[in-house]
Amino acid sequence: MTTLTINNLPPGLILLLGALLVPLFRGRLRNWFVILLPALAFWQVSCLNEAAVLSLPFLDFELNVLRADVWSRAFGYIFTLNAFAAFLYGSYQKKSTEFVAALLYIGSALMVVFAGDLITIYLFWEAMAVTSVYLVLASKTTKALAAARRYILVHVVGGLVLLAGLVLLIHDTGSIAFAAFAREGATPATWLILIGFLINAAAVPFSSWLPDAYPESTVLGGVILSAYTSKTAVYTLVRGFPGWEILIVIGCAMTLYGIIYALLENDMRRILAYSIINQVGFMVVGVGIGTPLALAGTVAHAFCHIIYKALLWMSAGAVLYRTGRSKCTELGGLYNTMPWTLILGGIGALAISSVPLTSGFTSKTIIIAAAANQHLFWAWLILEIASAGVFLHAGIKFPYFVFFAKDSGLRPAEAPKSMLAGMGLLAFLCLSLGMFPERLYDILPNSELVKAAMPYTFSDIYLHHFGHVVTQSQMLIFSGLVFFLFLPLLKRTDTISLDFDWFYRKGGELFYHFMDSILNRINRWTNDTVALSFTATLSRYVNDGPARLWLVVVKPLWQMSRVRIEGADGAEARLLRLFRTSAFSIGSAAIFSIGLLLMLLLL
Amino acid sequence: MAIPERDQGYFDQPATRKKLWLLLWGFCALTVVLELFIEREPHFPQENFFGFYALLGFLACSGCILVAKGLALFLKARTDYYDDADDQ
Repeated sequence: MTTLTINNLPPGLILLLGALLVPLFRGRLRNWFVILLPALAFWQVSCLNEAAVLSLPFLDFELNVLRADVWSRAFGYIFTLNAFAAFLYGSYQKKSTEFVAALLYIGSALMVVFAGDLITIYLFWEAMAVTSVYLVLASKTTKALAAARRYILVHVVGGLVLLAGLVLLIHDTGSIAFAAFAREGATPATWLILIGFLINAAAVPFSSWLPDAYPESTVLGGVILSAYTSKTAVYTLVRGFPGWEILIVIGCAMTLYGIIYALLENDMRRILAYSIINQVGFMVVGVGIGTPLALAGTVAHAFCHIIYKALLWMSAGAVLYRTGRSKCTELGGLYNTMPWTLILGGIGALAISSVPLTSGFTSKTIIIAAAANQHLFWAWLILEIASAGVFLHAGIKFPYFVFFAKDSGLRPAEAPKSMLAGMGLLAFLCLSLGMFPERLYDILPNSELVKAAMPYTFSDIYLHHFGHVVTQSQMLIFSGLVFFLFLPLLKRTDTISLDFDWFYRKGGELFYHFMDSILNRINRWTNDTVALSFTATLSRYVNDGPARLWLVVVKPLWQMSRVRIEGADGAEARLLRLFRTSAFSIGSAAIFSIGLLLMLLLL
Repeated sequence: MAIPERDQGYFDQPATRKKLWLLLWGFCALTVVLELFIEREPHFPQENFFGFYALLGFLACSGCILVAKGLALFLKARTDYYDDADDQ
């Protein structure tokens, strides 16, 4: 066990403890306090190095709560940086509920990223699920309530799968250390852990929880949710499953799935939710390729993705905040009165599309280059196709239908200053990382290798490798051309698209009816035969048994003495009635008792 | 459209739209022309094909749209499709 000092303070703890103090502050002071916390955590990330350790005893294990190497620090930087921008954006808020939930959620995500053992990871993994659900619930609509219920159920199942894997693994190996799992000799334990991670990464076919829940969250909630759960899962995949080829297939499926569904979607925040899956697909492919360059590219892409995706959610959030609408069919023409939201969000849209001069161009390129270096032609081709498709749905469709398309007649005010400040910071980062990515490449794992393989100065990227700029622009502009040529086909309709959640939403209902008709039929049949018919027969038999035995003895006597036996008031009926009501005369009962006693004596 | 042209926003005016279309086609042409003058750094032989990326962008996107349109036949549902299920 080591003592907790400022030198080995996990950055996540700053947010977790800070969250508890939030209720002590009021008004503007509280909002500044909330913004300060991720800034402190960011500073703490920059102070930490490999030498800092923090271990705690837990049962028979030593938990390694702090592992501050280059991998966790890279994620630590972006998690805290994004939290800072998100809280800046959200400082228009008057209530503290969302701040507390968000701080606990982001703090837990940071704890997962800096944890060196599986038990700590699991504990904060579950804490993330529980705290994040409040960001959905806080919008206080019936739809949000139902979505939050499904969201938490999916994460409980995912958490249990992960737990089952961890228990099996720790039982097998006796070690709780979190290191890369060997591809050879994979056990059921490692597969379960992989599935647990993939559920949080929203990998196909466990993807539908994300577009189901995130778009129902609050304005600030959506911005925060978009960054942490899936990217924490990417981090654990990078550390645990580098080079697992199946991830290439899963990642490629995610990129295409995200595009197709985003094209079908009408709700602007749902379009962005599907594009998260598309982008995480690129990262999952990077993990699957597993070379040092691919893994570094995955981290770089996660870094840039968090920034531009949060920026896109911010601009959508600003529109939702000002208009109360989220459907493309009900929006349009907002460029008239929300030009800053359009420009800043537009920078995010260009960045996600990897347009030259933006951050997507300097990060996604690493993963695609890594695929090409390994001569993975199909993976490379699908990533290129997906890059074109991203421009289609996130780069053009989202801004076009919200800000242009048709004049919806809406003339909302420009987004509040706090929102513009948050968006401005992230838009600045999108552009600066796109033009001068060296600062980013320096904090990446295998940074020397990345800088050897990729151009990193402005002149190198945009002048010496001008050919790449041209081919990339060519691909994107022709994608844009397709969008406008096919515009009649892309006209939005007020519909939803069925996704994998159909299986547990409608499927669950069908299963219920199926089980209802089968189990309840068995139930009714059992009731009819056992309870009603069999028991009644048995009871009649038990009741009448002694009487019928007695009849065997007395019937011949009655016949000899010519007593009337048959009929409603015949001797037989009277005897049965006598036995059923047990209305024996005292004399006969006494005689029977004496007879019984005599019999016992004789025996 | 009921709104008179002078009251329309800049981007809603037909004249602007026409200019934007010209700009789009012009930019497409520019990137293809520029391809004549660049040094290629191909990873795969397919990339040497002239206009490969233009074709890739065009085919990939029209493919995605057509696939999405096709799937829409099966996947599109009314917005209240799940309402009964969720109320239970």
